[in-house]
Amino acid sequence: MKKTLLLSYVLTFMFALSAIAQQTVTGRVTDDTGEGLPGVNVVIKGTTDGATTDIDGNFRLSVPGADAILVFSFIGMDAQEITVGSRTVIDVQMASSATELAELVVVGYGTQSKRFVTDNVAKLSSEDIEGVPIPSFQNALSGKAAGVRVTQQNGKVESGITVAIRGQSSVTAASGPLFVLDGIPLINENESQNGAAVNPLLTIPTSDIESIDILKDASSAAIYGARGANGVVIITTKKGKEGKATFSLNVSSGISRKTNGRDWLNSEQYAELFLEAGDNASWTDRSFVEGRLDRYSNNTWGTPNQVDTDWEEIALNDGHVRDVDFSVSGGNNGSTYFIGAAYNDTDGIVRSNELERFSGRANISQKISDKLTIGMNFNYSRTTIDRVSNDNAFVTPLQAIAQSPLSPAFFGPDDLANGETGPFTRTVYANFLLQDEFGFYETTMNRTIGKLYAQYEITDWLKFNTDFAYDIFGQTELDWDGSRVPFQSTQGQKRTANVNTTNYIWSNYATVDKVFDEHTVNVVLGYEYQQSDRRFNSVTGQQFPSDALTLINSAATISAGLEQTSGYRFVGLFARASYTFQDKYIFKASVRRDGSSRFGRSTQYGTFPAVSVGWILSEESFLSGVSAISFLKFRASYGELGNSEIGNFAALGLFRGESYNQRPGLAPFQPPNQVLSWETSKQTDIGIEFGLFDGRVSGEIDYYVKNSEDLLFNVPLVPSSGQNTIASNIGEMQNKGFEVLLNGDIVRTGDLNVNLGLNVARNENEAVSIPDGSDIVTGRNIIRQGEVLNSLYMIEYAGVDPANGDALYYLNTENADGSIDRGTTNDPNAATRIIAGSPVPVWIGGLTGSVRYKNFDFSFTFQGEWGASIYNAGGRFQSANADWFDNQSADQMNRWQNPGDITDVPQARLGEGNGSSHSTRWLEEADFVRLRNVTLAYNLPNSLIDGTGLSSVRVYATAINALTFTNYSGYDPEARSDAATRTTLPGAGIDFYSAPAAKTFTLGVNLKF
Amino acid sequence: MRGIMKKYIYILSVCLLAVWSCDDKLDLEPEEFISFDAAFANEESVEGILLGVYDEAGQGPSYGGQLQVISDLLGATNQLTWQGTFIQPREYFQKSMLVDNTWAENAWRNGYETINQANLVIDNVSIFQDATRAQRVEGEARFLRALIYFDLVRHFGETWVAGGANNTAERGVPLHLAGIVDYGADLSIARATVAEVYAQVITDLQTAMTLLPATNGEFADQYSAEALLARVYLQQGNFAGARDAANSVITNSGHTLAPTYADAFNNDSDGVEDVFMFQVTNQSLFDRQQLITFYADQPTGGRQGDIAVAPAYATLFDDPVNDVRASFTYVSVDNGLNLTRKYSNQFANIQLIRLAEMHLIRAEANLEAGTTTGATPVADVNAVRTRSGAPALAAVTVADVLNERQLELAFEGFLIHDLKRTQTDVGTTAWNSGTLISPIPQDEMDTNPLMQQNDAY
Repeated sequence: MKKTLLLSYVLTFMFALSAIAQQTVTGRVTDDTGEGLPGVNVVIKGTTDGATTDIDGNFRLSVPGADAILVFSFIGMDAQEITVGSRTVIDVQMASSATELAELVVVGYGTQSKRFVTDNVAKLSSEDIEGVPIPSFQNALSGKAAGVRVTQQNGKVESGITVAIRGQSSVTAASGPLFVLDGIPLINENESQNGAAVNPLLTIPTSDIESIDILKDASSAAIYGARGANGVVIITTKKGKEGKATFSLNVSSGISRKTNGRDWLNSEQYAELFLEAGDNASWTDRSFVEGRLDRYSNNTWGTPNQVDTDWEEIALNDGHVRDVDFSVSGGNNGSTYFIGAAYNDTDGIVRSNELERFSGRANISQKISDKLTIGMNFNYSRTTIDRVSNDNAFVTPLQAIAQSPLSPAFFGPDDLANGETGPFTRTVYANFLLQDEFGFYETTMNRTIGKLYAQYEITDWLKFNTDFAYDIFGQTELDWDGSRVPFQSTQGQKRTANVNTTNYIWSNYATVDKVFDEHTVNVVLGYEYQQSDRRFNSVTGQQFPSDALTLINSAATISAGLEQTSGYRFVGLFARASYTFQDKYIFKASVRRDGSSRFGRSTQYGTFPAVSVGWILSEESFLSGVSAISFLKFRASYGELGNSEIGNFAALGLFRGESYNQRPGLAPFQPPNQVLSWETSKQTDIGIEFGLFDGRVSGEIDYYVKNSEDLLFNVPLVPSSGQNTIASNIGEMQNKGFEVLLNGDIVRTGDLNVNLGLNVARNENEAVSIPDGSDIVTGRNIIRQGEVLNSLYMIEYAGVDPANGDALYYLNTENADGSIDRGTTNDPNAATRIIAGSPVPVWIGGLTGSVRYKNFDFSFTFQGEWGASIYNAGGRFQSANADWFDNQSADQMNRWQNPGDITDVPQARLGEGNGSSHSTRWLEEADFVRLRNVTLAYNLPNSLIDGTGLSSVRVYATAINALTFTNYSGYDPEARSDAATRTTLPGAGIDFYSAPAAKTFTLGVNLKF
Repeated sequence: MRGIMKKYIYILSVCLLAVWSCDDKLDLEPEEFISFDAAFANEESVEGILLGVYDEAGQGPSYGGQLQVISDLLGATNQLTWQGTFIQPREYFQKSMLVDNTWAENAWRNGYETINQANLVIDNVSIFQDATRAQRVEGEARFLRALIYFDLVRHFGETWVAGGANNTAERGVPLHLAGIVDYGADLSIARATVAEVYAQVITDLQTAMTLLPATNGEFADQYSAEALLARVYLQQGNFAGARDAANSVITNSGHTLAPTYADAFNNDSDGVEDVFMFQVTNQSLFDRQQLITFYADQPTGGRQGDIAVAPAYATLFDDPVNDVRASFTYVSVDNGLNLTRKYSNQFANIQLIRLAEMHLIRAEANLEAGTTTGATPVADVNAVRTRSGAPALAAVTVADVLNERQLELAFEGFLIHDLKRTQTDVGTTAWNSGTLISPIPQDEMDTNPLMQQNDAY
């Protein structure tokens, strides 16, 4: 009490004192709509004295005299300078920044004004990603940021998503970027047990996200050290703003459909082609085929009851999507809050593939005193997915396209007499409908991400932050095969698997922000500890008394059980300093020292430095006369980053437990590599950023060279050594290229605003050096010195011999003189493999546009890729001139039939492999342009909503993947096989019965009140 | 101000302290695995590695079934048909394997994994204090190594021809006789000669016979090794050796023919007739019983009856009505074709050597050698026939014995090897055609500069 009294005396005295020497100015700052703007900085130019506006935008400030100049600044607004003069009341209306350059970017352990950033950071705001009712937020990044390639593996709702920043940065499993949500490096391990990846970030609803910042170059990502080599994606969730509560409700609903279908033989054509194939086969005859047709058609072939089943239509059906999110945000008395809940229900286009997600978020902060702010972010979500098998399983829906069109999908009513009902069983392959009807595969992900944090402002230029965060990821998989599911005679089988991963991370860092005259200094210094522990267990039971009893409790036999643990630790010490002189010259340096448990003790620590410079030329006097140039910045950076994503115990030689006849045994699991260490990527980036004509046109151009050294790779060993692969650091790879970003406010009037944005990136990938220069071949992919990493590698198809209908291949053998023999052979074993294509594109780009006319707004995003090839590994079954009884693509009717026929489809010869070897016959270019999303919205005029209590009502229609332009004849130029095992990835650039993406049309309403 | 700085320094110091205190947390050991060193450190774990060799050899690509399947598909003319959709076995059935055939590759890989693990056991056998235990462990490892080398050389090497020039060309398979632990070393290796591989197989089996006990539970015993030796000698045309080994097994092992033909199959544990089996339980992984996968229909746990018994098979029988082996089939609910009943228990053990084979080896070898060691050829053949209800024969020729092998041992992985050793063409394909030899896997060719590909590829 005494203290308070004393303090008020002092304050009164000071106030009195200042009143003598100084004058007081008051005023109100408003935004362009006239609303009071809280939190605006009002500073007397040349000093650090100033004030901040209160909740209604009011400020009060003492100034030294009439020539004092007040600088009003606020994020996203143009700063204003006003000379006080004789006025005591100064009201200011601020205008939104004309260019993006004034915005803040999140750079890891802090934010920076985009204007002064010397790094390449792409920023997406909530506006860029909202209104897309797709469960995976990564999808919303497609086509939006230069040099960022987002690929959803296929059309399954939960499918894995690859995000590649500036080309292929690594060869190992984790070549994706580090995802950091509110400072928490997210668990992003695919925990699927059925071979097809599940996107672990599905749990995060798009509606929670305020912004996404993508750190692309080494200078920006270096603060993440050993995990930054593939770039960093920083997700910031929504926060409340001081002010009255704002409620937002968004509801959308829509339908989805496959983006593409293919033409398959109908039942007449099927019978015709296969009978012909039987005639032509040397080892059998037509009668064999007739027997098969009878079996497959349930003896309806050639009768009036013959069916013509469209299996594709059964496998890929219409889906629907419902998305609801609700939030309330606001703040008062130093507290802010954002409370939100979201619900998504997606019924995918792949039969029986569904997803349902509930999530909630509370982001709360409280200013305890002028110096101390504490808060928490908390998010939970529960995602339940009804899944189907991986692309390489016979019972995955899309493999149904291999079934004969003569086969009914279900037994007809006439068959009920023999007691057989349900899915037809005498199909070419096991009927997936048996799995569909009598089995299930349900994955439930429960995830909680929480963070407690405190920020203490030691002085006005020094603050200290401590963040303690947990990411708890739990997943349950229930895999039930009822007694009628194919490939077992165990009277039902059930596998229940649980995995629990907990990551906790503790970050502490201090930040210095100091302006002395013309010098601006920012320093961050901190350390971080991260611990991740994973535990997996599963139980399998067989022999169930009834298909209705699916819990393992009811199993007569417990046939398998697993328990596995794994984990890793990271310790990081980091520092970053930036210095700006005269708001023109910017220097930045950062360093991080990381230690990881993943490596041997001698190679546990790595140091990752980066430096960068920036020069804002438009501040120079020699450019001040050029009115067209409103902003021009040159920047350059260099940094070194690590990649440690090779698995937790990759350096050790290990044995694991095995059993034989229920007795314990041991087997080698992996060979040791004592010298395994970090993969290092060294990246140089040079860029300019510009704004022309008052920022009406702005853009960025970057050139980069990224060298990845000591690539982490599971190198194939000589098979006769008894081991398959060894984790090694091999050779060097380079990605280089440029990125161009252009943004134009083409029309900017009161009623009509048109904005167009274009981003284009070119990336060249090359395996620069490989140990001994020797090729590393994995399946249809090769790593060869001087070529694109994982180039597609196979023999070259040469078409059909017009004389006899044989499939031909180019020999491509090397002649004695070094030339290549372009002769042909009908023996695929005699042909030499060649590099036939690149699995990754050279060019990627996006074109975004928005048109705002009165209450309407319209926006679109086109996305395109050029230069990649895709190999349809299913082609040797699907389009193989009736080699076996798989239904064939319709183009196989163009088969060779008579001497002299010119075609590229060989003669149909059942079972003789005429042209069915892996070859370039099914290799195609994967270039495409896709209308990723398009939205038309109408904001109800105020006259309609006045008095309803609503502040805005927006009605919108969105289409996702509405149009695709490609020459690829398969399902989808983006779809790739998801089939993989624990240790092998799906082949690069390989399509194998991969479902196409969905196109989705939704209608939605957004209410704010 | 100074006070604040001090406070800041305190905070920072505490932070730094916390960093260093985290240091030891980086030394994380796996719980799911043990190191190489630990695996070789004691008797239990070396014995565990031996168990692992059985498990490895019993995997799908080897004795889990695919080796047997490709042997029969490659030898088949009209006994069976390949009905399935898999391309790799179909290539074997068509006698036109492509160089990237993954069944060939997997058999090769799995074979050498087994060999390396067996070598690791043999290298570390000195850890056992008890000499008897050491002998048993080494004997079992040598038996398994011999088994794999014998099948690798038969599938990937040139065909053994008694006195043939090919035997001494480097057309066998690489011989690794020591376990590999250092994978940083140069692992390239050339092919040994066919003769060297056979010699190694025989040495291993003869050594195993001296090391192994007469009975050894479900694991390899002295007679498992001797029975396999009989099979090896027969393949080489060493009839005296084959005869004596088979005779010894019949006479001394205590095994007898099962009472009925059906009793000889689909057993969950070793029956009286089984000289050696790979064990399968309902806790085994799916791929440990691939004979079911390819020979059975879906309700029985297979695919759809990918390998069907062809009508022509029945014509090999002189009395298909009474001979139960002729009708030892059932109709697949999936494709309506006849499937063998030999594989109709999803968790049955894999039969590798049963006594009936020994009788037929002794009969054939006695005939070829002009002897009657142990029993007359006709007695041996009739022993097998009468068990199945087939009429006893009055006299037998070598051709009769070879036919009897098809009746008795069909679908058990003998066909191509019998055709090759008797120099019998496979339909229109010459017995010594290169297309009846599997391709050296592409991966081996890509990584091993010393490797020579087979002529047909």
